[in-house]
Parts: sequence; structure tokens; C-alpha cells
Amino acid sequence: MANLKEMRLRIVSVKSTQQVTRAMKMVSAAKLRKAQDAIIQIRPYAEKLHEILVNLVNQNGAADFENKYAEHKEVKKILLVAITSNRGLCGGFNANVVKKVEELLLTKYSHYFQNGMVDVLAIGKKGADVFKAKNIPISGTIHQLYEGLQYSSAEKVAQDLMNSFETGEYDHIDLVYNQFKNAAVQKLIVEPFLPVEIKVEKPSHDDAHHYFSDYIFEPDVNEIMGTVIPKSLKIQFFKAILDSVASEHGARMTAMHKATDNASELVRALNLQYNKARQSAITGELLEIVSGANALKGS
Amino acid sequence: MYLEIITPEKKLFAGETDLVKLPGTNGSFEVLMNHAPAISTLSEGKIKVKEPNGNIIFFEIQGGVVEIKSNNIVILVDSSGLV
Repeated sequence: MANLKEMRLRIVSVKSTQQVTRAMKMVSAAKLRKAQDAIIQIRPYAEKLHEILVNLVNQNGAADFENKYAEHKEVKKILLVAITSNRGLCGGFNANVVKKVEELLLTKYSHYFQNGMVDVLAIGKKGADVFKAKNIPISGTIHQLYEGLQYSSAEKVAQDLMNSFETGEYDHIDLVYNQFKNAAVQKLIVEPFLPVEIKVEKPSHDDAHHYFSDYIFEPDVNEIMGTVIPKSLKIQFFKAILDSVASEHGARMTAMHKATDNASELVRALNLQYNKARQSAITGELLEIVSGANALKGS
Repeated sequence: MYLEIITPEKKLFAGETDLVKLPGTNGSFEVLMNHAPAISTLSEGKIKVKEPNGNIIFFEIQGGVVEIKSNNIVILVDSSGLV
């Protein structure tokens, strides 16, 4: 009964795969929680920073401040920062980022791309691999960022990006990443990073007291702007990375959940098939015995 | 007055204080009750915090921004350690 044995082995192997995917799902769920906590942790900082920025602009008017990061230059060279993950098995998570970058290169930035004026920086191994496989030239990869992710390491990368903008190496920088909505939903977005747009929404009547403007500025407004803007850029970058990490775990959790479900379905179908084969084998054996006995009786 | 010291990764301190001494860019300064609203940048140095029970805590910072408003002080620092 080689066939029955083969099927038994198959069932065992599917079951052990299911165990692996189930474990991976659990691990992702735990990591997702941690990643979500990190997002919540930076929220007070980010909100306060934004509030200070709004206060500064409100009191002094957005028009008359100058900052090297807010300068709109003639766009000659563009950098796309594609934030992906270091590990796979997370559904369409990485492929979506790569697809979006490809789409941008062929539509919005096609003119620049044809002249070789678009660089792609891949953060995360998986993205870099796919870009290579698709023959999309990348100017660099950064993948050590995710090992024990900290603000200080993300800050360094953000500072490098800001420096390359300042020196005029790039005149426009976009971030492409998965924004975290909830465990099951990620939203792929393209976010302009540099130059800075300072959005000042008119404070609604309810929080008018939040934004009253009678501050003493030390040393002076421009100096404060000069420290607050780089900070808010770094926070923006750090938040993008954190969002991407949380999305990655969310995507992996969903993918592994589906894989576990599929495995159960497969085990069910295989078991049915196995039992049918087993029963027909038994029926066959019984027939043999009975007909053997009959033959003996007849003689 | 209520003081909060926040880094991007966590809240270092939140609570009532009597006195806060800060390493401003233009020199060190102290904040007491009913300080006028102000926003200032901070340079590398130590933050000294005096709690109502007389406890004194120091935080070492690399730089940051402080906002003082109606007896609420919020200090945003990049990275810091307790001393």
C-alpha cells in the first residue's frame, strides 16, 4: 500500500508546515504589538513639535521665514526612498512598494527617469532584491536599520538625506512606504520628504487657546525654526520607518493566518482522500478473503 | 507647575515641579511659577528639576526645545540619560 503511506507522509508534512505558519503568526502578533507601542510612544513628541511649529508660524507668518530645507529649487534630480522589510513571507507588502516605485518611474517621473535623473534608495533587503531582479537601478541599500530599531539610527539616515538635499545632490525626495492603518490594512503612500511643506491649518475655534501667540522666543524665531524643522523631518522619517515595521508585522500576520487556514483546508481534503483509499483497500481485502473462502468451500 | 520631558522613544519625566533649570542656547536659565510663555532652544547640558518634596533630579541632554505656557513646561529632547 505505497499510496496510503505516501498520503500519510503528505498529511504529516502539511501539518508540520501549518505549525510553522501558526508559530510565525503568533510571533508577528507579538512584534506587531511592540511596533504599535513604539508608534504610540512618539506621538506626544511629534504632536508637541508640530504645535510649536504652528505657534512659530502663526506668530510670524509663514511667508517671511527662510530655511534651507524648505527651499523649492528647480528639480533636477529626484530621490525615491523605498521602505521595505528585511524579511519576506509577508504577502504583497514588499511587492507593493516596488510596484509603486516602478509606477512612479514610468508615469510621474518618467521624464526624469529617462534622463537618469531619478535615484532609488532601498531600505530593507527584500526591496533591494526585487529591484535588482527587475533591473531597476538603485543607488544604495540600507538594511542594518531594522536590527534593534532606535531613533538614533533612523536619525542618522534622515540626516544623510537632509545633507544630500542641502548640498544639491537631490532637489526632491519622496518616501514610499506602507502606512499602518490596523493589523489587517496597510495603506501604501508616497510622501514628499524634502523640501518641507509647512502646513498650517487655521486653528479651529475650540483649540484656539492651544495656539495663542504671545511667546518670548529665545534666541530668535529663525534660530528656533532652524532646530525645529530638522527635528520634525527626523521625526517624520522615523515615523515612516515605524509605520513600515508595524505594517510589515501586520501583513505577515495576515499572510500567515491565511496560510494556516489553507493548511487546515488541505489537511481536511487529504484526510478524506486517505480515508476513502483506506476503506476501499479494506473492502478489496475482504472481497479477496470472502471469495477465497468461497472457492475453498466449492471444491 | 507641570513638567514633561519627552524623547521620541519615551516620556522621561512627567510631574509637578517647583523649579526647572535649563541649558538654553543663550545661556542657562531657570523657570519658576508663573513664567511668561516662551519657546526656547536648548544646547548640550544638564536639566535640573526640583520636585515639590525637595528631590533634585538631573537629566543630561544633547539638545532640544522647550515650550513654557501657563505653568506647563514641555521639553523635547533628542536623547537623554538620567544622571
